[in-house]
Amino acid sequence: MTRRVAVVAGGHAKFGKRYDATLRELCAEAYKPIYDAGITQDRIDATVLSYAASQFTGQGAGSALMADSIGLQEKPHLRCESACATGTASIRAAYGMVASGLYDVMLVLGAEQMNRVSSATATEYMSRAGDMRWEYPFGISFPAFYALLASRYMAEYKMPHDVLAKISVKSHHYGAQNPKAHLPKEVTFEEANNAVPIARPLNLYDCSLITDGAAAVVLVAEPRVKEFTDQPMWIKGLGAGASEMMIQDRPSLTSIPGAKRAAAAAYKMAGLQPKDINMAEVHDCFSIAELVAYEDLGFAQPGKGRELIENKEVYHTGRIPVNCDGGLKSKGHPLGATGVSMTYEVMAQMRGKADKPSRQIKNVKYGLVHNVGQSGQFVNVIIYERGWS
Amino acid sequence: MATEHEIYLGYSTDKAVTPFFKQFLESLEKNKLMKGVCPKCKKEYLPPRQYCQKDLTECQLVEFTEREAKLYSFVIVDFAPESMASRAPYVVAIGEFPSGRRLTAHITNLTSEPQVGMKLKLGFERVSDKMVTYKWQV
Ligand SMILES: CC(C)(COP(=O)(O)OP(=O)(O)OC[C@H]1O[C@@H](n2cnc3c(N)ncnc32)[C@H](O)[C@@H]1OP(=O)(O)O)[C@@H](O)C(=O)NCCC(=O)NCCS
Ligand SMILES: [Zn+2]
Repeated sequence: MTRRVAVVAGGHAKFGKRYDATLRELCAEAYKPIYDAGITQDRIDATVLSYAASQFTGQGAGSALMADSIGLQEKPHLRCESACATGTASIRAAYGMVASGLYDVMLVLGAEQMNRVSSATATEYMSRAGDMRWEYPFGISFPAFYALLASRYMAEYKMPHDVLAKISVKSHHYGAQNPKAHLPKEVTFEEANNAVPIARPLNLYDCSLITDGAAAVVLVAEPRVKEFTDQPMWIKGLGAGASEMMIQDRPSLTSIPGAKRAAAAAYKMAGLQPKDINMAEVHDCFSIAELVAYEDLGFAQPGKGRELIENKEVYHTGRIPVNCDGGLKSKGHPLGATGVSMTYEVMAQMRGKADKPSRQIKNVKYGLVHNVGQSGQFVNVIIYERGWS
Repeated sequence: MATEHEIYLGYSTDKAVTPFFKQFLESLEKNKLMKGVCPKCKKEYLPPRQYCQKDLTECQLVEFTEREAKLYSFVIVDFAPESMASRAPYVVAIGEFPSGRRLTAHITNLTSEPQVGMKLKLGFERVSDKMVTYKWQV
């Protein structure tokens, strides 16, 4: 017998280059607001720890360290991993355990510390997410995988780079209003369009950041939700999809097939359609990824995603606001924390608790999270529903 | 101790060279690109894999003879992974053969910006005494 599951609380560390912290401190920062809200360790049955890669810190058994950092060392815990989609994979795993009745109350804690190594080394590690035998020997960096999407998309739809720069301008516009953001500054269209090349056609401003950070949420089974909050955010639908390991084997490079599969499953489970969604947090690890997400999630027809950004429909007052927290681009992308941070943001928006009115989305009933691992090998889409009026 | 014939693909010396992969690389040294063919379901793999994805039957290595392709997509890598930094910038391309098979490799002789749809030819190169690769030429 499955039970409904709600997100009842969340916490969020400051994202950035956190030379002042290790995983321990980042985890403490993310859990502290939850603890302060009265969800103390004794009320948590078990934890899913979400981090993508141990290479960055060299710390083995990182999940034990993370649980220990916040006093949950004696409670059951496990780690979940799906590259950049690790955060939502962890929420999905916790959802299953809570819905099934194994636990009533679970903490999902995501963290990543990426800046203990240089950007070149981080780029090396991330390139190993490609096929080690056939892709890695050709030096395909992470941005390069998405540049392969961008080149193809730009050619098929005759789209100039300008469109991508507009997405970066939006991300930085909202990141500048988010005190938790890694790079909270506005950028001009010219700066974004003419920045130094990283993996052409993508430049610096097309890329997300290499970030340290953590975020946490608490999932509770329906019968016990009232003990925790009168503002529950229900998990209305969740879908997971996957795609071929090697990017050359994808039938198309203008969309992410696994994302479409994940979205279809989530909409079906929720009984909703794209037009019902009031806001989305999408995986903009690169500007092109956000554009493709508009289409994969059904907010725009294939090839028409550019209209959403050009007409500012993805701004906070638009038809379908997207990443009004700065996204991976400006808020930052600490891999294992990202999907959890997206969920945190949907809850903050639903509760009317965005940091500033200038990024507060009005009346969010349904919020969607789209979290992509690697270049689409794993994708999770989760639809949340406001549980109060 | 007998010295093993050490050989790697592309521009890395990752050590995961299995007997199957070594056979592929030794053919490549003779300018032969091998595909994998499943004897049971006839599915073809380029690049090859040892076991068929569908029925897990062991594939046979058979020479792949197409040479002309079109540029399906590309990236110019400016900021490279650490181990490739000295080669940057370089162009990674997915070429598509008339059969629909695709292959990912560097384009090594470009004189202007690559264009999706442009013609490519498959070539081979000994990168160093331990490294061999297939590559795209315009
Ligand atoms: C693009 C990238 C290589 C740049 O790294 P870098 O050149 O080493 O950058 P540094 O950390 O040395 O920072 C240099 C400057 O650029 C800025 N910067 C770094 N990355 C930036 C980005 N993505 N966008 C905008 N500015 C950026 C820094 O703030 C810094 O500015 P300052 O000089 O004013 O302080 C790196 O951000 C990157 O790899 N991003 C992609 C991450 C990724 O692939 N994640 C997984 C995706 S799912
Ligand atoms: Zn077969």
